[in-house]
Amino acid sequence: MSSFDVGGSTLDVSWFLLLAAILFTLGTIGVLVRRNPLVILICIELMLNAVNLTLIAFSRQLQNIDGQLFALMSMTVAAAEAVVGLAILVDIFRVRDVEDVDDLSEMSG
Amino acid sequence: MSNDVLALLILLFPAAGALLLAGRGWRMPRLVTQIVGPGVVWAAFIVTLVLFFNQVNGDFTYWTWIKSGNFELPFNLYVDNLSLFMCLVITGVGGLIVTYSVGYMAHEDNPSYARFFTYMDVFIFSMLMLVLAGNFVFLIIGWGLVGLSSYFLIGFWYHRRTAVAAARKAFVMNVIGDVGMILGAFVLFVQFHALTFASVFQQIDNPGQCIDLCAIPAIGDSSTLELAAFLLLVGAVAKSAQIPLHTWLPDAMEGPTPVSALIHAATMVTAGVYLVARMHPIYDVAIVAHDAVAIIGAVTALFAATIAIVQTDIKRVLAYSTMSQIGYMFLAVGIGAYSAGLFHLLSHAFFKALLFMAAGNIIHAMADEQDMRRYGGLWKQIRFTSVFFLIGSLSLVGVIPFVGFFSKEGILGEAFSRPGTLGLAVWAVGFVTALLTGFYTGRMWWLSFWGRPSATRPVEHPHEAPAVMLIPVAILAVLATAGGFIQMSALGFGPTLVSDFLQKVVPKPSWEENGTAVVVGLVTMVLGAALFVGAMRIRPWSARVPWAQRILEHKYYFDEAYDAVFVRPLDRSADDGYRGVEERVIDGAVMGAGGLAEAGAGSLSLTETGYFRNYVLVFVAGAVIVAVLLIARFAT
Repeated sequence: MSSFDVGGSTLDVSWFLLLAAILFTLGTIGVLVRRNPLVILICIELMLNAVNLTLIAFSRQLQNIDGQLFALMSMTVAAAEAVVGLAILVDIFRVRDVEDVDDLSEMSG
Repeated sequence: MSNDVLALLILLFPAAGALLLAGRGWRMPRLVTQIVGPGVVWAAFIVTLVLFFNQVNGDFTYWTWIKSGNFELPFNLYVDNLSLFMCLVITGVGGLIVTYSVGYMAHEDNPSYARFFTYMDVFIFSMLMLVLAGNFVFLIIGWGLVGLSSYFLIGFWYHRRTAVAAARKAFVMNVIGDVGMILGAFVLFVQFHALTFASVFQQIDNPGQCIDLCAIPAIGDSSTLELAAFLLLVGAVAKSAQIPLHTWLPDAMEGPTPVSALIHAATMVTAGVYLVARMHPIYDVAIVAHDAVAIIGAVTALFAATIAIVQTDIKRVLAYSTMSQIGYMFLAVGIGAYSAGLFHLLSHAFFKALLFMAAGNIIHAMADEQDMRRYGGLWKQIRFTSVFFLIGSLSLVGVIPFVGFFSKEGILGEAFSRPGTLGLAVWAVGFVTALLTGFYTGRMWWLSFWGRPSATRPVEHPHEAPAVMLIPVAILAVLATAGGFIQMSALGFGPTLVSDFLQKVVPKPSWEENGTAVVVGLVTMVLGAALFVGAMRIRPWSARVPWAQRILEHKYYFDEAYDAVFVRPLDRSADDGYRGVEERVIDGAVMGAGGLAEAGAGSLSLTETGYFRNYVLVFVAGAVIVAVLLIARFAT
């Protein structure tokens, strides 16, 4: 089985993979070029969800439940990561006014 | 008390005194130091007297110090007439000198005062250890310790640069001798597999018979013993300031005057004479080394006497005269006239300690001025010291009835009577030296005491020294006057107590003294005394020969030569090593390694920008590369 039944018409798995790749790339570019820490966190979520989409697409295609379980797992990790990341950010905002991740470059060599 | 305990007590008294003064001396009242310092020496003297009158002889073993396989090294003391004789000189004359120091060092503050007596007691202990030791190891320990205490005492006034330099020089010269001694002991150990005197001498006396496990039972030839004897002679020459290791002794006069009297005249510098006498079984077999002893002694006697003519520092004149007189002793033991040499050791201890302490009184009266040209006219002003100094001087010149006559003419008589050219040759040198001795002693005496006071004299009305400094000098003056009558062999009649006493240990000369020697001795005395008196008027011949004067004033350029041959090349190579190797190679390597690490770290730290996006970019790039590689791998 190489395609999905969507509302009566079939859709090839490669479309899903293409969408996931586009989302992942958007997320990566966002992490690389955006300076706002909150946006960077959102972009990381985007990348994780692109990966989830890939996992589910393959799970459906290969009729293997492992992929969906893995996607659930990665959503849990993503939630945890968001909690930790946001907590760190809130703490940093409390101490000082940061608009830009480039302001956090004290660890330079 | 048994004899072995008494023998050990001789050592323990000064050791205990030194420990007490070293530990508590600086905060004890001065009176305690004044009692303990000389007291322990007198205690040792009394113990020695007890042993002397009981005629104790023996080899006392106390404990085993080293035990390893077949090898055993005991701590044993060798008490015989020779070591008792030396102990009497050390503790007797030493006691007088340490007592004298109570007055001489009175200007020092309390800690320094106690330090001085600590060092003196350490010295007495070391010297007694040297003469009582019954094996080579403890002989070397004592030998090294006297060098060390001499170093301490020369550099006693450690704030004077010259004193510190002189102390270092003396120490280095002495260590050269110590190395010779140690090597000599090694050679004997390899030959005999024993280190105790008793065992070594027994094997030499009975060649072919082996008491220990010896590798080479029979002494086929004496070359090993010659080598050992020469190496021991290096030690003796360094300690006794004989040519060519003599340059430290004149400089050692930087120390306080009692030190010059005790260490650098009466006792330590005569250790070489004791060594040759103690090792006489070796030197009797090692004929070449034995002759070398006599030749070194004769050359030093003449050489030092010529230098003494031009010296102007009163203590340096006495220092060169000490070298010269020890040269006589070496001459005597070198030709086999052991008891004559040891008698001169005794008489020299009397009159040279007397001269030094009298000179100390003068220096005290003259506000530490030591230049004789700035004295003059002291005869009427410090009468006691002048008389004592005159007694010492006449004894040094060798005038009847002073002790110096009997001992010096005893040596010259033995040399004169000895068959063979060596005896006659060293006699001739000794004869010339005796005349020179008369001259330089006379010059010293007339310059200091006669005539008008020098215009530059530091003190107008000098004061006589206190009683504590006069009484020991007076006792020595009596000994220097009357001491000769215990050994009158130089006159051919009368008692010969010293040689009778010593001949239980050291052999008699193999020849009879002939009658002519007595006449020759009297002629020597008359000529020497004439020069002593004449020194008031005549100038030294060298004053008319400028180049000779210059050579003498530079002490034959020994110091300059050693400086050029040893000191400066060593300095320069050390300097080169520092600049070339230390600074360039070693420092270069260390600094280079550090610099390399720093530069590497510096360039790597450029990647640590601190910007989050840079790290992510590298991470993503890495992930892309890994992904591409994986795809490339699985695609095929």
